[in-house]
Amino acid sequence: MTSIEHAASLLEEAPPAENTGERASWLQVAPMVAVLALFFGLPMLVVLVVSFFDFSRTDIIPAFIFDNYVDLFTREVTLRLYASSIKFALIVWAITLLLGFNIAYFLVFHVRGLLFQIGLFLLCTVPFLTSNIIRMISWIPFLGRNGIFNQALQGAGVTSQPLEFLLFSDFAVVVAYVHLFTLFMVVPIFNSMARIDKSLLEAARDAGAGRFRTVFEIVLPLSRTGIALGSIFVITLVMGDSFVVRTMSGGQSASVVSALQNEVAALQYPPAAASAVIMVIIVTLMVAGILRLVDVRKELAR
Amino acid sequence: MTQATGSGAIGGGQVEVAGVTKRFGETVAVKELSLTIPHGSYCCLLGPSGCGKTTILRMIAGHENPTTGDVRIGGRSVVGLPQVERGTAMMFQSYALFPHRSVLDNVAFALKVRGIGLPARHNQARELLAKVQLEKFANRLPAELSGGQQQRVALARALITNPRVLLLDEPLSALDEYLRLRMRGELRRVQKELGITFVHVTHTQLEAIAVADMVVVMAQGRIEQAASARDIFVAPRNAYVARFVGGQNVLSGTVESTMNGMAAVASDKGARFAFPVGEIRPARGAKLYGSIRRDRIGVEKMLPGAKPAGGLNTTVGEVHTLENQGSYVKVTIDLDNGEEFVAHVPDDTFFRNPLDIGDKVEARWSASDVKLLDDGPIAFEAAAVEARAASAD
Repeated sequence: MTSIEHAASLLEEAPPAENTGERASWLQVAPMVAVLALFFGLPMLVVLVVSFFDFSRTDIIPAFIFDNYVDLFTREVTLRLYASSIKFALIVWAITLLLGFNIAYFLVFHVRGLLFQIGLFLLCTVPFLTSNIIRMISWIPFLGRNGIFNQALQGAGVTSQPLEFLLFSDFAVVVAYVHLFTLFMVVPIFNSMARIDKSLLEAARDAGAGRFRTVFEIVLPLSRTGIALGSIFVITLVMGDSFVVRTMSGGQSASVVSALQNEVAALQYPPAAASAVIMVIIVTLMVAGILRLVDVRKELAR
Repeated sequence: MTQATGSGAIGGGQVEVAGVTKRFGETVAVKELSLTIPHGSYCCLLGPSGCGKTTILRMIAGHENPTTGDVRIGGRSVVGLPQVERGTAMMFQSYALFPHRSVLDNVAFALKVRGIGLPARHNQARELLAKVQLEKFANRLPAELSGGQQQRVALARALITNPRVLLLDEPLSALDEYLRLRMRGELRRVQKELGITFVHVTHTQLEAIAVADMVVVMAQGRIEQAASARDIFVAPRNAYVARFVGGQNVLSGTVESTMNGMAAVASDKGARFAFPVGEIRPARGAKLYGSIRRDRIGVEKMLPGAKPAGGLNTTVGEVHTLENQGSYVKVTIDLDNGEEFVAHVPDDTFFRNPLDIGDKVEARWSASDVKLLDDGPIAFEAAAVEARAASAD
């Protein structure tokens, strides 16, 4: 074969080679696509379709009506439920962010030795070896009217009466949320902080920046990917929760999802579906808002 | 200039490290080390990795504190002082530019911390960027610059506070060969222009010799030799310095006789050398070390079957490698005892009668080019001579 022929054959071969590469990558994502389509896409589609259905006391009736949405938007309770859920989401977000940032900072910058660092990190995950429900419910005997905490306070003479606000209150709900979700903030922040070059901190100190200045000017902006990811986890988890709110508030507080569950229990599937669709849209908008502030993909590629 | 930048000029930039020891747990990084770097000089700390050179730099910068001993800048002890009050600035090995800030904000950062307003600090930063020919890149992020440009940003950032001492931790190690050579000239020029003290850590011998007024050769937390760049190269104090700095062959042997300040020395293999010993009268049988510059050695091909002449100051071996360096050819000779001996032969001499790998050669030199090294019993003898001289005063 002459060199020209050889070059020509190379030219001919090149595009198919590229094609097989593309095909291979499609094949690689195919299982994930299948799983998502089957277990996420399809149910969402069903929910969306059902949200336009009509219903009676016992049946759901195929139709294309907007009554469920109109109902949802005209009921005053909807706003209250969203306000309550968003309030919890914001409070829990702020607390877990504060805790998560500090825990991650401690692990990354104060703990010397990788082994010790990993050890402490694993220690953070130990509670996750038990179920969420057990972890949450164990707060009840601790915070209850005659719980350990109240007894300890009274025993120490700090209070004469048991503190009532501890359990079955918004306080208890927040405590449980923080307990359950702080790790979701710690892990991503730890991850992005660990990638900060330590010499950047020294360079900041060299330039005359104090500890807080360094944290605010250097560490915080460079951890923003982790903060964004952690915020997404915490906010979506709180917005999507019903169980913690119901249990820890003793039924006094409700969330969007717990109201939705009531409708499901009453077999009112179409309004529940409409509520779910709106919920998904709102949470998606919140996530989109966070992603707009922080370009997570670009940061992760860094 | 503003008040923040004016403070750098207070006191000189003389750096004194006085009897400093630094331990990290069990390991001793720096042992009882004392060193004075004069104001306005360019000093290189040279040594292999782990010799403690970076630790010294970090102690001067205030990123480490000495376990014992004192560090003084401009005559004032700075141990325990924050970085700002030392009048030092550090340029980090990986540059440590803030990746989320523009080049301009990187350079202006120290001024921002000092509470200088945005227009003022940006103006100053722009001036410095112009000095390093980067004003065009002011609004880029560091990641959008090449390595050499990043290095110049790091330099500008370090200089913005008008430090009296600039500390450079392996500043050129991340650059490619071409840029490294250019930047080291640039660093030297900047140092001369500013007239401040530069302390530059490196493990590259030629880099140290090329830029520095003063070279400090270190090993295992100690100083082996602190001298001018020229002395380090032409008059190494001991075998370690001679070997590490390169440019020298180390000879050794036991003393057979001493006459008129020359000792006749026999190597293990029977080659005989003359060492100038000056005042010292080493005992017969004492082991002496000497160095001979690579470019002061003549290499001659031996005819097949010929017996070595066996004269003074010669050694015989086989050519192991040949490297043409342009103006000279580096000839590495495998000696009979397995040691390597290197000769730098000027190109015209070499190519008049070229050698080939595997050729039997004889290397010869003049006794007056041999420098006695401070190793073995001679170290004690030299100390005794100094003591005698001192008591005679």
